Amino acid sequence: MALVIAGRVVPCDQNDPDAVFAGRVFIGDDGTIEHVAKGSGPAPAGFATAPVIDAGNDFVIPGLIDLHNHIGYNTLPLWAEPTRTTPYMHHDSWPGAPSYRASITWPSKTLVAAEPEALLAYVQLRALVGGTTAMQGWPTANREHVQVLRNIDDETAGGTSRNLIYTSTLTLEPLELAKKAQAQKDGAGFIYHCGEGAAGSLVQREFIDSANAGCLGKTFIGIHCNSVMPADWQRWAKDDAGAVVWSPFSNLWLYGSTTDIAAARRQKVAICLGSDWGPSGTKNVQGEIKVAKIAGKKLALGLTDRDLVAMITSNPGDVLARCWKRQIGRLTKDAFGDVTILRAKGTKPVWTQIVESTEADIVLVVVGGVPRYGDPQPMQATAEPSSKFKLAGKDRRIAIRNPDDPGKPWKFSEITGLLKAVIKDPKTAINKAEARLRAYAGPMSAPDAPLLLALDMPTGTAAFAGSLKDHADEIVVPPLSSLVHDAQFFAEVGKKGFHGGLLDGLKEFYL
Amino acid sequence: MTRARQRGGRRGGENGGGARPLEFSWADRLDILDGLSVLIEQIYVHLPLKRSLYGFDIIRALQALRLQSTTLTDLQFHRELTTLVNRLRDAHTQYQAPWTKKGVVKTLPFLVEAYGPPGDVTYIVSKLAVGAKLGKSFAEGVVITHWNGMDFERAVDLHAEVETGGRPDARQARALESMTLRALEYAPPPDEEWVDIGYRDNLHRKRTIRLAWDDVVPEFAPNAAGMSLATRFRRSINLGAEAVRRAKKFQFNRGYWEAERRAAAISDPKKRLTAEFQDFLTAEPRKTPSGVFGYLRIWSFDVDDDRRFIDAASALVQDLPDRGLIIDIRNNPGGLIWAAERLLQIFTPHPIEPTRFALRATRFTAEMARAVFNRDEFGAWTESLSSAESTGEPYSAHIPITPPEQCNDLGQRYGGPVVVVADANTYSSGDLFAAGIVDNRIGPLICVGQATGAGGANVWSARDIADALRPANLPVPKFPKGVDFTMSIRRAVRASAAGGALIEDGGVSGQTYVMTGVDVFNKNQDLIDHCGRILAAQPWTRMNVKRRGSEFEVETAGLDRLDVFVSGHPARSYRLKRDGRQRFKLRPKKNQMVEIVGFDKETVRQRRRIPID
Repeated sequence: MALVIAGRVVPCDQNDPDAVFAGRVFIGDDGTIEHVAKGSGPAPAGFATAPVIDAGNDFVIPGLIDLHNHIGYNTLPLWAEPTRTTPYMHHDSWPGAPSYRASITWPSKTLVAAEPEALLAYVQLRALVGGTTAMQGWPTANREHVQVLRNIDDETAGGTSRNLIYTSTLTLEPLELAKKAQAQKDGAGFIYHCGEGAAGSLVQREFIDSANAGCLGKTFIGIHCNSVMPADWQRWAKDDAGAVVWSPFSNLWLYGSTTDIAAARRQKVAICLGSDWGPSGTKNVQGEIKVAKIAGKKLALGLTDRDLVAMITSNPGDVLARCWKRQIGRLTKDAFGDVTILRAKGTKPVWTQIVESTEADIVLVVVGGVPRYGDPQPMQATAEPSSKFKLAGKDRRIAIRNPDDPGKPWKFSEITGLLKAVIKDPKTAINKAEARLRAYAGPMSAPDAPLLLALDMPTGTAAFAGSLKDHADEIVVPPLSSLVHDAQFFAEVGKKGFHGGLLDGLKEFYL
Repeated sequence: MTRARQRGGRRGGENGGGARPLEFSWADRLDILDGLSVLIEQIYVHLPLKRSLYGFDIIRALQALRLQSTTLTDLQFHRELTTLVNRLRDAHTQYQAPWTKKGVVKTLPFLVEAYGPPGDVTYIVSKLAVGAKLGKSFAEGVVITHWNGMDFERAVDLHAEVETGGRPDARQARALESMTLRALEYAPPPDEEWVDIGYRDNLHRKRTIRLAWDDVVPEFAPNAAGMSLATRFRRSINLGAEAVRRAKKFQFNRGYWEAERRAAAISDPKKRLTAEFQDFLTAEPRKTPSGVFGYLRIWSFDVDDDRRFIDAASALVQDLPDRGLIIDIRNNPGGLIWAAERLLQIFTPHPIEPTRFALRATRFTAEMARAVFNRDEFGAWTESLSSAESTGEPYSAHIPITPPEQCNDLGQRYGGPVVVVADANTYSSGDLFAAGIVDNRIGPLICVGQATGAGGANVWSARDIADALRPANLPVPKFPKGVDFTMSIRRAVRASAAGGALIEDGGVSGQTYVMTGVDVFNKNQDLIDHCGRILAAQPWTRMNVKRRGSEFEVETAGLDRLDVFVSGHPARSYRLKRDGRQRFKLRPKKNQMVEIVGFDKETVRQRRRIPID
């Protein structure tokens, strides 16, 4: 379905990075940007009858990219171990915390087992309301499922291979790293949780191993790397620099410190942002960009608002384009048709307005040329079925198809209704989920197989996964964490975590 | 239940060759051989064992068959391949050729059983199929002497050559059963369309009868696991033997068969639960000269819900005499590993240590284990598989499939002494249960034959293997439509005192028992009496707990001390001067667990857990 979006276009074009102009973005039937035009000249062939969304003075920007998440956990609230009084040392320290299993593993596994489609719908909506169009960190699934956002881990970019990018949340052995480096030589990308911990802690070894393996190249995307000391950043050659994904909120929450962004920038490593997961992250990259601004100022990194915007658009877009051979994160010809429309307010520079924008300022989110979330009027400009709901008191619409009736939109109340039923009675939900498995005897990859999602974070248990059913009486699933940065979220931020008050400033952007 | 009869069975392709088009092209055959070779080389867990034990290298044999594959008819090719795979003597690892009819059993209308010591075995018709019209002289009790003109014992021996089973006695036990009940799960149909059976009738006259093979299609029982996604990766079962077990029940115990269909209509929850599982569990009191004891028959562990299975077993044994319990697992073909291993806890006051399982350490198994999607199934083995890549260790670490905490989460529910009876047809999860009984010192094991059937592995279907390979980006072999296979994936080793001992090919041995004619015709009475003597010699205590709100009443016999714990914390301790009832009050909170432990001279004899709802 072709689509034309008119407004104040902020293309983030490499050839004219500062450009902002009144114009139109033409997205073809295949979800690719066919043309970006200044002014109101004639449309290219094939767009004569295409619906037009006129954003007026509002900004038409590349869809926001969240390059680090674990979306299966994004119904959960912020988590902090009540007995912990000092920051953790590294990523192996907190999964053993006494409350981890009950607060994170069991609730997430319960929701994933009982209502996997509804869970995926809800967490995608959480990203959409913050303007996100592409995300990393999806649970592995046995079959196709509800998907409206671009799945960075699994994107085929018009081809058939799902191995354009490899990912690993868990630490890899040296030999495995070497294999990934081999794949990188053949053009693949590698997104690796690397050296997550306090600066100089023992997990720094993961970065050094990555260097020795040959991973540190243009398609290496290191998540966190906050344990890496300045001298070790120099192992990454400037002319072969890839990207690091910065998640300052999560770093400060768990470790009280964050990535040495100055050292990474000195090596020409592209800085990208990721909001990380619900238990220690922001709600979306709109929130994370503000944390980056706060942390950048505190650490005197000299980041401009334009630098920050690049971290959720063109920086991740460029490194992903090396793997996919298709551009994302910029509104240019042949790029993915992922667009976010942002309400323009006041006279501040566009980059500042983007950085300071909140969920309330999102007008429309388009993924692959299909409007997925936004204000009622633009959402109804195309034939994609959508349904209305209220978010923070405002009328909005979502376009997620009901998996049981794909001709109809999946209503917000239906999605949350399913999840709330699990929250209200986990035991019954677990029994129903197991009954579904008992009733199915076909291949796992069949379209009618029960959807199974494998969560990617540590389970917090030793060798045995165990059975949900046998813990059903103990499992408490917390209420759905809200889709937006709200007062409850900031109240938690103010009371918990190891950020030393630095994150308290985040609420100034919202409240 | 449906029953289909096809006189003479189907014998498609016997006259293959000539101008008949091949059902399987040469390319199809190469796909089969290449796929099997890769999976056996990379995943088959017993490969080194079978190479050394039988001096047979299946990889080399498959390569040789590859060279011959273009010269064979379809039937010859599949028969040859079946024979090669059978030489592994592993009922878990089976090639399913196009003749396979899953769940179909070829039957003759009688059951033959044997009694007497080796060298003096009598083969006897113990049961006739319900409704079979075989004339007056071919009745229960006749002695089988010949099979198609051959001495019957020799016929059994010859058939044992193509049966699985690590020990000769295990092969013979399976062969005897399959003389009249042959599952088409893996094996080809019988070569003959009918069988001439020589026998001595009940007046000792020599006679012959010609009987044709029929098909019986026993459906799964309600609550059977089948290929359910909930359990399929945690099974240890001989699927052919399970089909035979069901066919036997249909043929010879029609009353049980019909009763299981009526379970859903029972209103009493406890009765309904036990009725729902009566294909797997039956129980009754049995009188012996040594006293009256409980008798629990565990027919199969192939259930789809281990927790309900254990609840059903608990409900049955709690209504039996508490003087002692005979658990009979003869002919149990296995099933869900969790069901077998979690059940152990209800018979002992002591913690259960489950058996442990390992994978071969290969590139495939390491990649499979590392795949995030496989983490729940293989995560525990990942580290050792990865380290084996550098150290050259041939196997991963041995780790339980049943989480130890779930082997101990319900606690003891039967307090009397226990004896378990197994035979050479006790297989897979049946082996694991027997091993658990011995290794956790729950009670003595009585074996009809030298040991249990020796199927020590977790078995997966081709589909299960494909489902695990796919997330690891490993190539999934393509098998032409119409063929299939199952394979041993993780091998079992025993726990506790026998820690590390292999079960495959050796089995679990116990005190040997030789079946008698009385056993065959009088509900195993000699065997039951023998078990009764063993149970009567065991120390006996009693502890029955009742709770009414905050009041607890504990009836004891043979105990001198009670300790009471609330969620692990000591709450009470009583010295008992005599048998009788001890009452006390406790006010535990919701979701706490009250545990009452009974001692006799400082030895723990009884333990009960009472969850507080």
